[in-house]
Amino acid sequence: MSFKVQLSREQIRTLPLRDAIAIDEHTVARAAIALMRTHSLGCAVIVDQGCRPQGIFNEQSILRMLVAGVSLDTTPISAFAEPHVGIVRANDPILSAWQAVVDQGHRFLCVTDDEGYLVGLTGQRGLAEYVCDCYAKQIAVQRLGSAPWMLQREGA
Amino acid sequence: MSSFFRMDPAEACDPLSNFEPVEYDSELERALAEDPIAEIDAKPYLQISPRASVQEAVEMLHDSGAASLLVVEGEHLVGIFTERDVLEKVVENYLRVCSQPVENFMTTNPTIVYQSDPSAAAAAAIAVAGHRHVPVLDMDECVQGVISPKRMFAFMQKHF
Repeated sequence: MSFKVQLSREQIRTLPLRDAIAIDEHTVARAAIALMRTHSLGCAVIVDQGCRPQGIFNEQSILRMLVAGVSLDTTPISAFAEPHVGIVRANDPILSAWQAVVDQGHRFLCVTDDEGYLVGLTGQRGLAEYVCDCYAKQIAVQRLGSAPWMLQREGA
Repeated sequence: MSSFFRMDPAEACDPLSNFEPVEYDSELERALAEDPIAEIDAKPYLQISPRASVQEAVEMLHDSGAASLLVVEGEHLVGIFTERDVLEKVVENYLRVCSQPVENFMTTNPTIVYQSDPSAAAAAAIAVAGHRHVPVLDMDECVQGVISPKRMFAFMQKHF
């Protein structure tokens, strides 16, 4: 079975989804950033009262805030959030997540149920881990490090 | 009698005569194992001096839309400064740190890969070690680019 066929057969729900940080659009930036740091996550999802994704506040939003020179304590995240959220359904094939990341350039994807309620988060990291699981014999055995190659050699 | 070991020519045989090439289940599996990282598109990339200010680095990230800057001294990598460093070390005290050099806030000793490594090594740095930006060096330790998940996936897609 080719990888593309596998992507189209398996569902997004089988990916290791991360818990999303779901926040209200009026949340001030400093509070959102504190949550992102606490959870080591590069985004917070802006949701409506029904927990449906409405926007995303991410690391690019933070850069825009810093360059604009606004206060983190008084600026609501909605002022710098991305309105174009990548959304996929948990029952969609993984191929739709792949296309959203590769073709549309999303880093994070909000995963919703069939009603549109946020159930988790995936994206580049989730797909990379999936690829690693599929090709563990090639990927999981690789040397990793920051030292020059001649210092990482094993054996004589 | 000579002390040298003498091999009977009749016993000599091709040491590779019993070599069996690896068989792969798919073209993608072969590409990950055998194609070098040089085959992955690792450019363009942005670089900055370690003595540039944090403000310059933030503006460069913002203006370019890139998510990482390779911190380079001469031609050699000394660190990497990414959006994650902004989130973790800079944003909450930006006014106090914006004039400081970027080398105080960059990630030192980042995980690297070489152009001659198999492309699976870049996938491992992203998927196993969890890095979003993996600098690529040549055998002279000079910077040749950076690989992101998107670039890795684009490479894989060519071999679907």
